[in-house]
Amino acid sequence: MKISELPRRALVALGLPVVLIALWWLLSAKSTSFFWPPLSTIVQAFPQTWTADPLVHDVLPSLARLLGGYLIALVAGVAAGTAIGSSRTLRALCEPVLEFFRAVPPPVLVPVIALFAGYTGSTAKVITIALGCLWPILLNTVEGVRSLDEVLRDTARSYRLGRVATFSHVVLRGSSPRIATGARQALSIGVILMVISELFGASRGLGAAIVQFQRGFAIPQMWTGIILLGLLGVALSGLFRLVEHRTLAWYRGLRQAERGV
Amino acid sequence: MNGTTAMTTNTAPITLSVDGLAKTYEGHGRSVEAVRDLTFEIRRGELVCIVGPSGAGKTTLLRCIAGLLETSGGQIRLDGSPVTGPPAGMAVVFQEYGRSLFPWLTVRKNVELPLKEKGLGRAVRTAKVDAALEAVGLRDNAESHPWQLSGGMQQRVAIARAVAYEPSVLLMDEPFAAVDAQTRADLEDLVRTLWRQLGVTVLFVTHDIDESVYLAQRVLVLSNRPTVVLEDVRVDLPDDRNQLETRSSSRFTEIRSHVYGLIQLAKQGHRPDAG
Repeated sequence: MKISELPRRALVALGLPVVLIALWWLLSAKSTSFFWPPLSTIVQAFPQTWTADPLVHDVLPSLARLLGGYLIALVAGVAAGTAIGSSRTLRALCEPVLEFFRAVPPPVLVPVIALFAGYTGSTAKVITIALGCLWPILLNTVEGVRSLDEVLRDTARSYRLGRVATFSHVVLRGSSPRIATGARQALSIGVILMVISELFGASRGLGAAIVQFQRGFAIPQMWTGIILLGLLGVALSGLFRLVEHRTLAWYRGLRQAERGV
Repeated sequence: MNGTTAMTTNTAPITLSVDGLAKTYEGHGRSVEAVRDLTFEIRRGELVCIVGPSGAGKTTLLRCIAGLLETSGGQIRLDGSPVTGPPAGMAVVFQEYGRSLFPWLTVRKNVELPLKEKGLGRAVRTAKVDAALEAVGLRDNAESHPWQLSGGMQQRVAIARAVAYEPSVLLMDEPFAAVDAQTRADLEDLVRTLWRQLGVTVLFVTHDIDESVYLAQRVLVLSNRPTVVLEDVRVDLPDDRNQLETRSSSRFTEIRSHVYGLIQLAKQGHRPDAG
């Protein structure tokens, strides 16, 4: 936590990426391969490719769909997860079905959903993202609620905490570490599905743009799309960690205290 | 209330009455009779301990009284009304202090949460929380989280939460079983002090004979399972007690030996005639 540690930690965190980029730069510098253009060419193509128009008409709609699907999955997953986790009967009833749906790879859903919701609209894509993100959130919430301490539940009951207070102060907070685990898994699934959902019959969107570059043999541009996608992923997971860091500070402290004993 | 509580208990109204309580656990084709026929009363302002051999169903009894466990027979009444679920006038301090405090809330918020649910205004809540934390000696730790405190301090928070709730009866389920001996002595004195200062009615379950005699005005000795009350022992020690003098007094030793003898009988399966 000391200030003098900060530069060292930054060095550790950035060291490998810098080395990798340098390697890529050096190894691709003399490249004449059409499919592996020099990194310098890709970097030059970046600002020309991602101007205001594609940012507004490709990247933003993609991110909006990701956000929409993700939020739907979060709300639905936590709501259904707490219900299933709180009731033994419901759990016994749902468990086999949940296991089955979890085992289905989310990308398989894309063509199926497209059949019902259409290929071109946003609806099918948002549903795809929501459905893919739902399972890790749902299953982790169930587990989190189920493993909530009995003594805490008794405490809440004996102090007559109402339904709302029990839900928000005890159930939700108590299972929040597990919910966060599910939400983190869901985020990476969501990014994957954001791209995949656009590979089929979409004309705009980040994923669609990358496919169109590839089909039009605009190879450096295709690479810029992939890099942009990677950067977005890093930014999103950084944002996630920021939120997690603030809301789960108590959990880190608790874990540290338990290890210290 | 003040130090004269012991003199007035006999005429004080009955706060908690347990009448013919029975509890049988059913499950997997067999039933276990934990509590057979328990009857006792606690008057307002009393401090009563329940001791019994391990496995006597002490925790079962306490959970029934707290309304956390359904009974199989008999009746429990708090201030005249039957207990069917957790009643408003009861606060419980559990043995597992580390698991009964909400780790995501600060000490202050832990104590405050039940008051919020009672619908008390902010100013009243703050005053009550401050007073309760002051009473248990944790005024300076209000903004800490429970896991930043030692075990004894955590149990103090649980006690503060119970006291701030202002219950008719404060139930304590072996609250000091998991803390070290010195902390335990401090916490015992804290319970005595709070009881005398606040006039709260306390029902304290323990497996420790010395602790029960040191704390209580009356000690209820339980039999082996299926449980009945073996004897209701009056502790006629002075109200001003301290760890050193009280525990070395001859009267303390007498009562202690008596309770010890009863527990030995209980372990051998001795039951009163009614059982």
